[in-house]
Amino acid sequence: MALLDVKNVKKIYTTRFGGNQVEALHNVSFSVEAGEYVAIMGESGSGKTTLLNILAALDKPTGGKVYLKGNDLGKIREKEMAAFRRQNLGFVFQDFNLLDTLTLKDNIFLPLVLSGKKYTEMESRIMSIAEQLGISKLLNKYPYEVSGGQKQRAAIARALITQPQLILADEPSGALDSRSTDELLGLFNAINDNGQTIVMVTHSVKAASTAKRVLFIKDGEVFHQLYRGNLTSDEMYQKITDTLTVLTTGGEHRE
Amino acid sequence: MNRSIYTKLAISNLKNNRKTYIPYVLTAVLTVMMYYMMANLAANSPMDQEALKIILSLSVHVIEIFALIFLFYTNSFLIKRRKREIGVYHILGMGKPQLAKMLVIETVVAGAVSILGGIFFGTALAKLMYALLKRMIHYDDKLAFRMSWEIAGNTVLFFTLIFALTLIYNLLQIRLANPIELLHAGSQGEREPQTKWILTVAGIIFLGIGYYIAITTKEPLKALQLFFVAVICVIIGTYALFTAGSIAFLKLLRKNKNFYYKTKHFISVSGMLYRMKQNAVGLSNICVLSTMVLVIISSTVSLYIGKEDVLRTRYPQEVYITNSVSDDAENQKLHDMAEKICRDNQVEITDEKSWHMAELVKIKNGEEYTSAMIKDYSSSDVVFFDVIGLADYNQLTGERLELGDKEAILFTNGENYGKDTIQIDDENWTIKKELDKAPFGKKSDSNTENVYYMIVSDEKEFMENYLKKYQLEAEDKPVKWRESFNLRGSEEQKLKAVKELKTQAESEFEHTGVQGRYLEKETFFGLYGGVFFIGMYLGSLFLMATVLIIYYKQISEGFDDRERYQIMQKVGMSKREVKSSIRSQILMVFFLPLVMAIIHIAVAFPVITKLLAIFYLKNTKLFFGCTAGTVGIFAVFYVIVFVITAKEYYKIVE
Repeated sequence: MALLDVKNVKKIYTTRFGGNQVEALHNVSFSVEAGEYVAIMGESGSGKTTLLNILAALDKPTGGKVYLKGNDLGKIREKEMAAFRRQNLGFVFQDFNLLDTLTLKDNIFLPLVLSGKKYTEMESRIMSIAEQLGISKLLNKYPYEVSGGQKQRAAIARALITQPQLILADEPSGALDSRSTDELLGLFNAINDNGQTIVMVTHSVKAASTAKRVLFIKDGEVFHQLYRGNLTSDEMYQKITDTLTVLTTGGEHRE
Repeated sequence: MNRSIYTKLAISNLKNNRKTYIPYVLTAVLTVMMYYMMANLAANSPMDQEALKIILSLSVHVIEIFALIFLFYTNSFLIKRRKREIGVYHILGMGKPQLAKMLVIETVVAGAVSILGGIFFGTALAKLMYALLKRMIHYDDKLAFRMSWEIAGNTVLFFTLIFALTLIYNLLQIRLANPIELLHAGSQGEREPQTKWILTVAGIIFLGIGYYIAITTKEPLKALQLFFVAVICVIIGTYALFTAGSIAFLKLLRKNKNFYYKTKHFISVSGMLYRMKQNAVGLSNICVLSTMVLVIISSTVSLYIGKEDVLRTRYPQEVYITNSVSDDAENQKLHDMAEKICRDNQVEITDEKSWHMAELVKIKNGEEYTSAMIKDYSSSDVVFFDVIGLADYNQLTGERLELGDKEAILFTNGENYGKDTIQIDDENWTIKKELDKAPFGKKSDSNTENVYYMIVSDEKEFMENYLKKYQLEAEDKPVKWRESFNLRGSEEQKLKAVKELKTQAESEFEHTGVQGRYLEKETFFGLYGGVFFIGMYLGSLFLMATVLIIYYKQISEGFDDRERYQIMQKVGMSKREVKSSIRSQILMVFFLPLVMAIIHIAVAFPVITKLLAIFYLKNTKLFFGCTAGTVGIFAVFYVIVFVITAKEYYKIVE
């Protein structure tokens, strides 16, 4: 059974006045196996973020279903939703979303504190993760005291510390310089090699080229997908660029 | 063309910032109005009410200071909020001179609306206020209330000056900042607040001193001297504790890992830490203003309600005639005069008492009461000895007591003396009996002066011995004669009779004075009614300030919380959890000042009771009722303001 199963998801936004309907997602279906590293690509307005919000259960689809380990996200009650998200999903955002009022360490602890874990357990969990992400020395600093790349690593640590089924990343490299982006993508690969499933939404070709599979979304549908297989990053990069060219020039190409 | 663009921009800026500017302009209008009305009242106050005149012109100054501080404070809040917007204009290519031009026009518009609006409403309401004031002080004359152009001119000038100052402040802010700073002003990384231990300790000490003074001061006059010291201490303590103490306390909480890393505590402790840093000054402002509102209103209300009480304490009987150089023939004439005048005015004299007395002033020095000069004595050590002859006493009470040489009967107006002997200078007197009640005066817990009524076998002999001993002439220390009585009749007739008696007696006899409840009533009403009026007036002004600060705090909190609220939700907090956590934080933040203010009031209660005693108000129950009532009403008001502004807050956060 796939870890994440997206079936015929449809999302229609109705504008507040006048009832103009905008279709953000037309009919999206795909599945993600445990241990995969999937990038979802598309231009601005293609529905990427809508899709990610639906996967994150922050938004509800108008039609279709999303299953995480066989659980229908639509059937989880509002009350349990926050706890469900906390236990099964980890998030990495473009703008980090760290709380200014907390040290990096406390930011990383936040989801555990919300789940009511003991301090000793939190302490034992954070060490290995901080070590792996190279932020052990920064733990007592505040977000405004560290660089963007370091903030993003703290955010990844926060996503990892709950040992989630799935990490959802929304343009994780969007606010980083190229060196930090390289480091970040390297980290994602390393985490994925440890068996962590990652779904990343991006429009950066570079970011997508490090993933094991790339889904292309256009006009609310999965337009195309690429498997990395044995390709090097550079070859993958080339293939993605080609696909994007086709996508933007409007070819009715399907594989 | 350029000019009209800036005008348009300025006006649309004001419109776009209406959420913050409307309350600002509204407050400014009200402040101008309050100032203008008070200035007019002061100018029109009844000529013969000296005390009232002083109080009114004093409060004009209070409003002046308040207006300056308060408008400046609100303005600094507004400009902080708007820095980003100004940064955008700057980046879009507006130079600093153009920005300045825009701000000048904005200030002119806001200032003109405030000042003209204030004067307009002030003119409309001033007559009403005047009528209210007259009613409160029981003063009626047919004099027309006149508004003066001069006062209007002064008001315009004064507030133009304040607005000009705020403008200069704003321009300096812009001049000093570069565009990037302006752009990011709203979202500057919050530095972790430092723990300021020295300030915390200083806060505790100051508050402790203030509280200590409030609780331990027993004598009214001392209370008057120390009250302002206590007020200053408590204000400093409040500011220090809100700014440094709160952060020190929260940091201690954070150090306790097992406490801190609990779902409930984690968010609220870290959130509070951040809030307190930003809001400490605003919250202490609310706290201090609330305390002032509560003290002013509760004490002036009790004074006003208790004014009859006050007169009764001060004058146990209604009329007192004192001839400070007793002379039997004169005394008789005075007595006859009083009877005649009362008869002519159809009022009846009742409870008539008269007695002779010698008055000495002594200073308590250890066990001894001495005339010697003593350095550093306090006012509470001064004792007035009213020495009264046994004959008068027996006559007044119908008793048949006898006293030997150096024997006395004692009655004090305060606590009982309690010992068997009393040493006056080098003479030792045996106290044969101490009275709990006497016809000359009334006992009370809180007196401004200590009076010992000492009954001796013969007051003339006492005085003669005294004079001989100190080689004084009889003119220096004469024996006095005093008569007191109550009146029965209509209020108007009574007042008329007493007034007539006073004029006639004081003009015919050199050493005579007439005092009493009816005579004092007018001054009392003038004074207490005036104090009450001012109390309400300033109270409502401070209340308005409190409301506005709460409103601005809520709004700024809202903008700051929006982002944090979203992040927490994304990280896995449910909407409800976030809401309840934020709610409890705001509740804590906004009710902290109220709770603190109530504690201040509770502690200040004893000392204010003593202060009111100076105004002869000794009805502690009445004062307690007034305080409790004021606190209750204020709390309800506070909650309503909080609920209304909280709505605004949730609108921003959602």
